Amino acid sequence: MEINILGIESSCDDTSIAITQNRKILANVTANQEIHAEYGGVVPELASRAHQQNIIPSLDKALKEAQLELEDLDAIAFTSGPGLLGSLLVGTSFAKSLSLALDIPLIEVNHMRAHILAHMIETEDQINPEFPFLCLTVSGGHTQIIVVKSPYEMELLGETIDDAAGEAFDKAGKIMGLPYPAGPIIDQKAKLGNPQAFNFAKPRMKDYEFSFSGLKTSILYFLQKAVKENPEFIAENLNDLCASIQRTIIDILMDKLEKAAKDTGISRIAIAGGVSANSGLRQALKEREQNLAWQCYIPKFEFTTDNGAMIAINAYYKFLEKDFCDLSVVAKARKALSL
Amino acid sequence: MAESSFKASNVEEVSVVAEKVIRVLKPGLVLLVGEMGLGKTTLIKALCEALGVEETVSSPTFSIVNEYQGAAGEKIYHFDWYRIEDEEEALAIGLDEYLADGDWLFMEWPEKISNLLPLDYQLISLTADADGVRQISLRTVHE
Repeated sequence: MEINILGIESSCDDTSIAITQNRKILANVTANQEIHAEYGGVVPELASRAHQQNIIPSLDKALKEAQLELEDLDAIAFTSGPGLLGSLLVGTSFAKSLSLALDIPLIEVNHMRAHILAHMIETEDQINPEFPFLCLTVSGGHTQIIVVKSPYEMELLGETIDDAAGEAFDKAGKIMGLPYPAGPIIDQKAKLGNPQAFNFAKPRMKDYEFSFSGLKTSILYFLQKAVKENPEFIAENLNDLCASIQRTIIDILMDKLEKAAKDTGISRIAIAGGVSANSGLRQALKEREQNLAWQCYIPKFEFTTDNGAMIAINAYYKFLEKDFCDLSVVAKARKALSL
Repeated sequence: MAESSFKASNVEEVSVVAEKVIRVLKPGLVLLVGEMGLGKTTLIKALCEALGVEETVSSPTFSIVNEYQGAAGEKIYHFDWYRIEDEEEALAIGLDEYLADGDWLFMEWPEKISNLLPLDYQLISLTADADGVRQISLRTVHE
């Protein structure tokens, strides 16, 4: 049986609408809000206003690409959290209206689970991991290690107690005077620098918890002192600084991921979220495929950023279980992985 | 509230200070000022723990506002205006409603929305000496 699902993602910057047929993508349309680059970040109200403007054109485009009519859809899926409340509400209301008008099931999807299940999208150039696997989700707002036992059963092993890994990149960049978002710039410059040039203290965290707040402070102090002695220090050492900061953040991530793989005995390792585009992180995983016999799963770039396809694929699994919701469902800015 | 100040040289001491600070503070608006990396989020985390919050208190830089619940069921909002460039954005996410409800409102980077804040608030300033010891100063402001 072929099941066509419309997936709506509006939790943050991007409005994205996808249509899937079982685990294959028929369309995945993202209206990127370039306006945010001018504002130096995610601006909540701008985000929700832009979602309102983007959502109908995105739907039209997705239907056209998929060569389907609204009547061909079997269910409407949407992100109900976590995210920015104003943005989530746009997608939630739109999904409810469509489901009501078309009289087809409504499926709510947890954004964090969807990031992980993006690995299950069927495409020619993506290998789907077998269950169980471990997933490291790293983005501007999240840093988590999850045991993915099935599409339905996931266990959070640990997460950040303060800043997210992506935030660590962006704030370290800010301290060095780089523009927002600094992550991709640091990645580029890191390729030209010596990752061992500078050492920054790593946090000692229990179990699978992460902390990046102390690293930010340690970079700040180091640079304040260095700039006092040589005002040109940052400019003269930018590549080495970027390489060393990137190496430190990745080391912190890898230490915990290695511990999780060892403790659970799982060697299928997936990464998800925007930071999985980082070339240093990808390299670190490749090394561990060699040294630790891991099988690593790195999603295609278009599935690492927020996208409607991951919402639709997650909803496909819920559809199979008839896990639908009614119109009383509400968006929630904070939402645990288990919900 | 008279002006008071505390010192902390590590995260454990921040928790001890937070226990004292929370007894002096009243529910309502609490602004935290200090350079990036001085420990604003860490202090708010400790204040939330002192109020009995059980969830992980993490940075709201990305989410702009995090909501928690204290031991007595009180609502606690943790804002971070770091990303805001235009003050109107704060109004648009409902700043006035948050201010009107009398809940705990901890705010990082209030400088970003200085024209929109009420004239009465509690202010916590963080500074560091040459050895990295944090000075946490507390006062009530009536402009």
